[in-house]
Amino acid sequence: MKLLLALGILGLVGILAVGIAGLWPRADFPDPDPVARGWRVTNAVAAIVLGLRLWDTLLEVLVYVVAMVGVRFLLVGLHWKGELPPVSETPLLRRSADLLLGPILVFALYVAASGHLGPGGGFPAGAILGSALLLLALAKGMERVSAELYEPRLESLEYLAVVLLVFLAALVLILGLRTPAAFVTANLLIALEVAIGAWAVLHRFSSARGEV
Amino acid sequence: MESLSALALAVASAALGMWAMVVRRNLVWKLLGLNVASGGGILFLVALSHRTGARPPIVGLGPGPAADALPQALVLTAIVIHFATLALALALVIVLTEHRHTQDSRKLEER
Amino acid sequence: MMAVLLSALAFGLAVFALTRKRLLWGVIGVGVHSLVLAALYLVLAAPDVALTEAAIGFGLVTFVYLLALRRTGKLVVAASPLYPLLYAEGERVAGLEWEILERFARWCHRDLELIWVPRAEILRLVRSGEAHVGAGGFLPNPHDGVVYTQGLVPTRLVRVRLGGGPIGAVVGEPGASWLGSDGKLFEDADELARALSRGEVGEAVTDLLRWREWETRDLFSGAEATLLPGEHRFAFALNPEDEELRESFAEFLGELERRGELSELIRRHLG
Repeated sequence: MKLLLALGILGLVGILAVGIAGLWPRADFPDPDPVARGWRVTNAVAAIVLGLRLWDTLLEVLVYVVAMVGVRFLLVGLHWKGELPPVSETPLLRRSADLLLGPILVFALYVAASGHLGPGGGFPAGAILGSALLLLALAKGMERVSAELYEPRLESLEYLAVVLLVFLAALVLILGLRTPAAFVTANLLIALEVAIGAWAVLHRFSSARGEV
Repeated sequence: MESLSALALAVASAALGMWAMVVRRNLVWKLLGLNVASGGGILFLVALSHRTGARPPIVGLGPGPAADALPQALVLTAIVIHFATLALALALVIVLTEHRHTQDSRKLEER
Repeated sequence: MMAVLLSALAFGLAVFALTRKRLLWGVIGVGVHSLVLAALYLVLAAPDVALTEAAIGFGLVTFVYLLALRRTGKLVVAASPLYPLLYAEGERVAGLEWEILERFARWCHRDLELIWVPRAEILRLVRSGEAHVGAGGFLPNPHDGVVYTQGLVPTRLVRVRLGGGPIGAVVGEPGASWLGSDGKLFEDADELARALSRGEVGEAVTDLLRWREWETRDLFSGAEATLLPGEHRFAFALNPEDEELRESFAEFLGELERRGELSELIRRHLG
């Protein structure tokens, strides 16, 4: 068993080493600037994610949504039994969460909306937003926050974002729409979808928990 | 030099993560190993996109040649998918623990 | 240069994280490893990937692990009540052992779930792995098929004589070795007390704390109690296959003892 394991790991290292030998140092290096200019944005990564390889991104968003639906489906029958410990109120954390939530929200919006110009985009923005919501839950107690924020309407908003994204992708892919506005909209939709998915998962994982 | 050290780390991380996935018996430890291994894979692609003195693939951001944007765009989605699949895997672990009262892979395989 | 340093740091963190015994350390180590990887991506001219890795790999993934740890790492305690160690107080559970278990659960980031069962059932549950910890005035007995933590509270065995008749003891307790050929074994201490009061057995072998509990409830006023030789210590029963739990419990108890909190807890609960 140990021998097999050592052989397997050695094999993996060998494959990767052969890969490195073949791929590195790379002789030809494509220049990403023309790609970015072709899509009338400055961030070449955004041009590839939301333009050149939009199909990949679209299906990736679908995988994300399906995974989140799977989590909901798996955890729907599980409820926390027994008495819950009371929420430990930490005034400092609560105050700082109140103060920080606004700036974090604005920052997430900025990261999403400027994704076509510089580093950023919908995925990190959604993750930042989800983390901010969790920070809030951490400070105020999961139950209070999810009572205010977790409604089925929020989940349908996630599916709506996906549908809108598909429509936008159709515009870009079929009609050949190439404007920065499409990038901003797509990034905002992705951010919304990732944030709601992350929040729903974290809510499910901690359902009926007093504290995180 | 920069990308060489990153490539070495990528290979080492992948091997380390695989080792943890095989040797550790607790399912959550296996997932942590998968986490490290996937980090190695992501780093491998990012290191391949780099060359000495390269600038980020953003138009007009400093002098020098730009790094390759394609691998970066690919791993961007890989990170997000990793989070989604990890959440799914952890949900499965939760369900398994509720029903079988153990996270030990060897005990789970017994019945 | 920066990249070499960051690579070395990231590898060190990954090794640190994956060789821990406590899952909490592993999760924190992998989280910080992700953060260092994000810095490395920034050095490698990939700011988009760095931002995504920092937000998802460090933020969301760590959160999701911590939440899952709380849900999966339920610490199931099977116990039978014994007054100052573990007892129900209205809706609440209290006692010395309960406080230690609560601190241990907080220490290793798990939740407690308590099930009240007879003493013989506790052993079965702990052996099969359905319960992680057996508690409630457990006296170690080498033939139980479970492992024990270090002893917490010293006690002595007591022989309670009420009248003539066979000796009774609780199954699995060290007192059972004092039975003669006509001795009777009982599932838990309450059954033993009932049998003693009904006259089914004339004598009972139990421990000092149990005897004190019977005394305060004024169950056997005319009984005469004699201390038996040999000292015993109450301990927690653990599953022998769960090495991780055993090691972390030993580490926790050692820490508690070093800081002097264990003796303080014992003083507060037992006087």
